[in-house]
Amino acid sequence: MSSQEQFSSRWGLILATLGMAVGTGNIWRFPRIVATNGGGSFLVAWVVFLILWSVPLMIVEFSFGKRARKGTVGAFSRIAGRGSGWMGGWVALCAAAIMFYYSVVAGWCLRYLAAATLGQLRGDQSEAFWSGYAGSGLAWFTHALALGLAVMVVWFGVRGIERVAKVLIPSLFLLVVLLALRAVTLPGASAGLEFLFRPDWSALGDVRIWLQALTQNAWDTGAGWGLILTYAVYMKAREDIPLNAFLIGFGNNGVSLLAGIMVLCTVFAINPGARDEIVGAGNEGLTFIWMPQLFDKMPGGQFFMVFFFLALSFAALTSLISMVELVTRNLMDAGLKRKKAVSIVGLAGLILGTPSALSLAFLHNQDWVWGVGLMLSGLLFALAARKFGLERLRREDVNADGCDLRIGRWWSFLVSVVVPIEAVVLMIWWLWEARGWDPSGWLNPFRPESVGTVIAQWAIALVGLLALQRWFGSRQEPATLGGGSEE
Amino acid sequence: MSGAAIAFMVVICTFVWGGFLLLLTRAVDSERRKG
Repeated sequence: MSSQEQFSSRWGLILATLGMAVGTGNIWRFPRIVATNGGGSFLVAWVVFLILWSVPLMIVEFSFGKRARKGTVGAFSRIAGRGSGWMGGWVALCAAAIMFYYSVVAGWCLRYLAAATLGQLRGDQSEAFWSGYAGSGLAWFTHALALGLAVMVVWFGVRGIERVAKVLIPSLFLLVVLLALRAVTLPGASAGLEFLFRPDWSALGDVRIWLQALTQNAWDTGAGWGLILTYAVYMKAREDIPLNAFLIGFGNNGVSLLAGIMVLCTVFAINPGARDEIVGAGNEGLTFIWMPQLFDKMPGGQFFMVFFFLALSFAALTSLISMVELVTRNLMDAGLKRKKAVSIVGLAGLILGTPSALSLAFLHNQDWVWGVGLMLSGLLFALAARKFGLERLRREDVNADGCDLRIGRWWSFLVSVVVPIEAVVLMIWWLWEARGWDPSGWLNPFRPESVGTVIAQWAIALVGLLALQRWFGSRQEPATLGGGSEE
Repeated sequence: MSGAAIAFMVVICTFVWGGFLLLLTRAVDSERRKG
């Protein structure tokens, strides 16, 4: 591997990976979920699953990428055997499918950043603004713009990703800290802190809180998505894995906690009467309808609204970049040059993201299908690591020369037993929940959030991947440190 | 804010942010040692 295809330093790797992990889910989903699931009780379960799900899977991903020096398909083939390429294909497919609609979401953030900066976003008109924008031609344009920005960064390779992360991630941290400080200094904000941190130990007996906390970890840390694996391809040979994994897990959840403080203190200080309506409004409702209204009533609110949408845009773009790189890396492993690969990814994203840009129902369908798909991705990582031999992986890769933190056998136990159980329970629970959302049509594959649509789309994907299995095996060059085509 | 909420806030924030800062310090030390 040429020196151009490595992160220049540990900090480059950590910032890029933090950029991958910290996304819109930290800012717009975490505060809602913590508010509707018992506040302090939820935080206990959320911290537990940081250790029982996110960090163990992050360590698996780092070790796969570092060992194989290949994207997801090549890494699974190399580590779990040539017949396992389809598993890496599934991980890549999930990430690609999410990328197609995530660029739409990133585009929304950019549009709202522009609107907030230009003073077009007035609180009393926020609902009309959202209705007029979502699903419009302008939403398609902002989808194209966000995707174009991500493609431009990935075009310049890992050094491009590193340069952007070094600017955007410290800025994002600073913005979130400033917004949280502003929120806690608002009159009445202590009610938000009380709500967020009030412990209700009896609520810990509610299994739903634990499942929501596990889901939040599965969706917002990036563990089990294949994105950490992709960045690990470019880490130095004597780079640490365990300490980096813990650092990214804690850093990501630290941002979530700040976002929770920021949103809940703002809600309780500005409009406490509508708090249930606000946190129950869904991701888009909270962010694009309620937040502009709240900022509008806050002293200096216009200024802080720009900060809010700037932070959201940075979080979305750095995550989108990692998804574009994941697909690009797989195409490079198949023999394409980086620039050709990223052009194909950009064009595919532009076309396949169009339905989500023009239809919220389609976007929600994809979010549902592939969000649950990520739990299967996590399971596949654990199974592949088990097949390779967890103790061997721990000895040869995780605790290899250069590691700053030695990992004990507890990690092997978590990955071989606990993570698979968590993944299976989560998938069953979400599909069971979906039956209740639409009792008469839960098996209908054409309903946006049904069990039927998950089964249908997963079946098509899995049949396609298994049909391509032979091709996956034949296209993977033997893994070397210099693997992959690079310009 | 109630005393219980303040105590719980201190515990959670210390665990998450304190943990992050501790890990960061360790990584910085390690990089310094490795030169």
